[in-house]
Amino acid sequence: MVAVPAASLVFAFFASGLVLLATGHDALSSYRRLFDAAFLNRGALGDTLVSATPLAFTGLAAAAAFRMRLFNIGGEGQLYIGAITAAAAGLYFGGSGGPSAFAIAAMVVAGCAGGAAWALIPGILRAFFRTNVIITSLMLNYVAGYLLTYLIFNSQSYWRQTIGFNASVFPTSKQLPNSAIWPAATVHVHGGVALPLGAGFAVLAAGLLWVLYSRTRFGFEANVLGDSARAARYAGMRTRRKILAVMAISGAIAGLGGASQDGDFRHTLDADPNGLQRQFYGYSGIVVAALARYNPLAVLLVAFLIGGLQNAGNTLQGADFPSGLVGVIQGIILFSALGGELLVRYRIRVRRRERAGSAPAAEVT
Amino acid sequence: MRGITKRFPGVVANDDVGFEAAAGEVHALLGENGAGKSTLSNILTGLYRPDEGEIHVYGERVEFHAPRDALDAGISMVHQHFRLVDRFTVAENVALGDHRREGRAFRLRSRAIERRVAELGERYGLAVDPRAHIWQLSVGEQQRVEILKALYLDARILILDEPTAVLTPQEAEVLFGTLRELAADGRTIVFISHKLHEVKAVSNRVTVLRAGRNVATVDAAEATPRSLAELMVGRGLGEGVRAAPREAGEVVLALDDVWADGDRRGAAVKGVSLQVRAGEIVAVAGVAGNGQRELAEAIAGIRPATKGSIRVAGKTPRAGDPRAAIAAGIAYVPEDRLGTGLAPSISIASNFALKSYREPPASTGPLLRLRRMRDRALELIKRYHIAAPGPQVPVRLLSGGNLQKVVLAREFSGRPKMLVAGSPTRGLDVGAIESVHAYLHEAAANGVGILLLSEDLDEILTLADRIAVIYEGQIAGETARADANVEEIGLLMAGGQDPRRD
Amino acid sequence: MNNSLAVVLIASGIGYGTPLLYASLGELLAERSGVLNLGVEGMMLIGAVTGFWTVQRFHAGTAVALAAAVGIAALAGAATSLIHAFLVITLRASQIVSGLALTIFAGAAGLSSYLGNDFNLAANPARHTFHTVFPASWQGWPLVGPIIFGHNVLVYASWGLVVTVWLYLTRTRPGLNLRAVGDAPAAADAMGINVAAYRYAHTLVGGALAGVAGATFTLAINPQWFDNITGGSGWIAIALVIFAFWRPELCLVGAYFFGALQDLAPELQARGIHLGPTVLWTNALPYLMTIVVLVLVSASSTRRWLGAPAALGTPYVREEG
Repeated sequence: MVAVPAASLVFAFFASGLVLLATGHDALSSYRRLFDAAFLNRGALGDTLVSATPLAFTGLAAAAAFRMRLFNIGGEGQLYIGAITAAAAGLYFGGSGGPSAFAIAAMVVAGCAGGAAWALIPGILRAFFRTNVIITSLMLNYVAGYLLTYLIFNSQSYWRQTIGFNASVFPTSKQLPNSAIWPAATVHVHGGVALPLGAGFAVLAAGLLWVLYSRTRFGFEANVLGDSARAARYAGMRTRRKILAVMAISGAIAGLGGASQDGDFRHTLDADPNGLQRQFYGYSGIVVAALARYNPLAVLLVAFLIGGLQNAGNTLQGADFPSGLVGVIQGIILFSALGGELLVRYRIRVRRRERAGSAPAAEVT
Repeated sequence: MRGITKRFPGVVANDDVGFEAAAGEVHALLGENGAGKSTLSNILTGLYRPDEGEIHVYGERVEFHAPRDALDAGISMVHQHFRLVDRFTVAENVALGDHRREGRAFRLRSRAIERRVAELGERYGLAVDPRAHIWQLSVGEQQRVEILKALYLDARILILDEPTAVLTPQEAEVLFGTLRELAADGRTIVFISHKLHEVKAVSNRVTVLRAGRNVATVDAAEATPRSLAELMVGRGLGEGVRAAPREAGEVVLALDDVWADGDRRGAAVKGVSLQVRAGEIVAVAGVAGNGQRELAEAIAGIRPATKGSIRVAGKTPRAGDPRAAIAAGIAYVPEDRLGTGLAPSISIASNFALKSYREPPASTGPLLRLRRMRDRALELIKRYHIAAPGPQVPVRLLSGGNLQKVVLAREFSGRPKMLVAGSPTRGLDVGAIESVHAYLHEAAANGVGILLLSEDLDEILTLADRIAVIYEGQIAGETARADANVEEIGLLMAGGQDPRRD
Repeated sequence: MNNSLAVVLIASGIGYGTPLLYASLGELLAERSGVLNLGVEGMMLIGAVTGFWTVQRFHAGTAVALAAAVGIAALAGAATSLIHAFLVITLRASQIVSGLALTIFAGAAGLSSYLGNDFNLAANPARHTFHTVFPASWQGWPLVGPIIFGHNVLVYASWGLVVTVWLYLTRTRPGLNLRAVGDAPAAADAMGINVAAYRYAHTLVGGALAGVAGATFTLAINPQWFDNITGGSGWIAIALVIFAFWRPELCLVGAYFFGALQDLAPELQARGIHLGPTVLWTNALPYLMTIVVLVLVSASSTRRWLGAPAALGTPYVREEG
């Protein structure tokens, strides 16, 4: 169960080491610094959580949909839309002088609703026109990205800062009022680690998702539907409704990730082309989900590890630590996990076939 | 062509099997499902490689590493499920994979190919429009394309795997004529079947396989269906299971002018009226693709009936709602067991709960009761003698017979009033067929009405109390078993008129 | 006349559309064999960075350097696609996950960025670039000047490629076999066609063309290197294949149309024309139109005529006897 991911992790670092060596770097010391920067250095754990939290959301979003074989790769766009709607809620309710909890709750609801609505577009197209979710959700990522850029850079939208000197020089977005900023709990180990509220929501979402898929009628139907749509129809399951529900759940989780970006980390709607849109949280989330084999609880763990890797990549980026290395390692981890899992399945299948050979004779009952 | 021998270590699909077929001969391979006929033919066509053994074609030893080698040696096969590209034209399908003569040219000369296909079709009475797309053709025409493919490649040896499964008895006669003609032309025909009378009708010699082994090769002229059957099954045959006539109860299923659409455009079921009484087995005979599946799905609520009424024990469940049909007491054993009847990668226990998970005891409110589901699965596995490693393994790991038992166990445990079964024994071995038949008899004896949709006339004659024949979505005729006449049914299946109506 | 909006847009559509055309023709070949490769963006970036590296480090005449650069970009793209091919054809991994992994591995935050940084390629503009083939005076000719004679050799080569792919698919045996492999692999296998070989070959050609598409950016359109220089073109190329109903001649039309859209917003602004949120809808239009086309293609009545190769995305396993 754990052996394949672990082995592929080892293989991935070995293969990436070859890349490093081939380009004239010391692989071992690079890894050492990577590991230190991810987990051991002062403040590293907190930074890793900053990277891991959005990955947990997008990973859970992907896992929720992929389990039903709805290949929603639109987590990226759903996260943007969630960030947009949550920022609107934060600006509106945070500035109204009400209690902070109320503004935060409004942001959570708005983020979930925005992400869910965006995910429902491919969901509806799939349910009613049998349109391929992969392509439609992917296309909508770009539409969402352009919308995000447009709101701040090409329009006088509600989100855009229009007052002040800086705003007249360079387009920028409004800062969230203090009451709309999400609190973080600080754990006093290793110089203090901030636990963002969003990380708590991610853990909660993972728990709920796990219960939903393994213990409820809803999850039972989703599992059957993911395995065979014909069998689900045969058993009288409402296929369309389920597709819509699962897409909405998936989008809502990604949208909540967007809300957490606003409230926990960026404290504004980040439309900078080198900001939120360069993180590719949505795509990395699919990697996280695939490595976790779409198990919500494993998603948390994998998100933490990949988050560490990304954090280290960001911290170390410089002349002697080429950017892009982190993406290379991530990619190779995923390749080897995919390959490793399938190699194992191959072996099992071959062995089973040998045994199955004798079955016909024994089966005559 | 002499001396094909194949040896496999251990008890595998083929164990030291061999046969010889001469040029100009129609040679039948007879055996029940799982006897190793398909494996053998897949070895002959290069899809599988034998572990041991030798193949000789016209006295020369050959070794096939890939399908192309077999084609080069002049061996072509018509598979049971056609290997045609739906979106291609007839000519394109025929030209596919040809890599000799004009096939060696990089350019595709469509006109020339079309002309040659038309010539071949004319010469052997296999008329199809070379420019027609495959999806526009009937099943019989598609089979002709498969044979044309082989002739185009100058196949000297033609293997046909259960070619009549998709044909009416009359269409089958035409096919037999073509096969005899091809044999007279000096080709060798290997005819794979488990139908005794066909084998006797068309072949010169018969090789009988049983459990992966060679049993005998006999002259068709000297064999009787009974002697062949005994060779095939390996024991003397009884009279077959024929239950005593049952007392039919009240009407549990009443179809009145039911219409339903097919997957492609247009209606597939066109005004079917039928009644099934409690404790009665009514069979719907027909060649595959004449609306049987659509009819069954309409009754099970999977496909909405566009017109007409379906009444179950006096009530009318909402059309196109499988849950309403289940609640009304309809059980459905679909033809496609693994995929429709069962979700392949889900556990056996979950598959048992596929229809009952919504209510207690399988669930309480929105929550599943996993322990109860498992206990129930253990109970059913025991009661129905299902060979399974445990209730949590994915159901796809079971064999065909055991899969069907899982479906039947689940459907019967829902206490149905009415059971619709689509080809419930297709692809099963004799032992499993017997137990499926026994379960159906038992259910009927307990007062369940059964609608059996099948292409297998032998099965229908064994099981049914009444027989209706379906052709192009309409009931072409109906008769009690006692009055049934195979020729007449065959004629109706082919779209001929009911002679009694004249 | 040559300054009219239509002519300017057609000419710039051809320029911006050329990498889309190369990449979509490559993806089309892969998809026709049944392999969906979502890694186009990654393969393009690898082609872009290796092609650029070649002209910077390979000291030769312009023509030789550029030819070598395109060749190396094609090789690098093919090598990248080999990972995908091995995973999905031999190991039968999920084509979606593998393709995405390929983009993450090779893409804007992966190997292409790593190589670009490590070789310090962002420091200088390209030493050799593709220029227009025909004399500048020809380009003043009305209409045909900018539209027909205003391009570099990569553009003309891509026209040849469209015709080649079209002839290959419709008029040759390997093309026929390829279509069979993508539509009905079991039928193809039974007729002695090596399904895996066809899929490998066309996935690799797809990677090579994506590599060339990437090099088009760094050697012609924007002759320099920075991370993510292709800016999401790979995804448009994937959309384009659907948009073109898997047909090469329509890929050309779609590529130039999508290319023109990229230039539409600046052109409109330069002429003082305001059509609502121009930047937003011109940018988003290719994606939205692809969705509309996809809905049309998915409708069951049109599927058989326009649809995707039937076996697209599914591994081929020989049926067990």
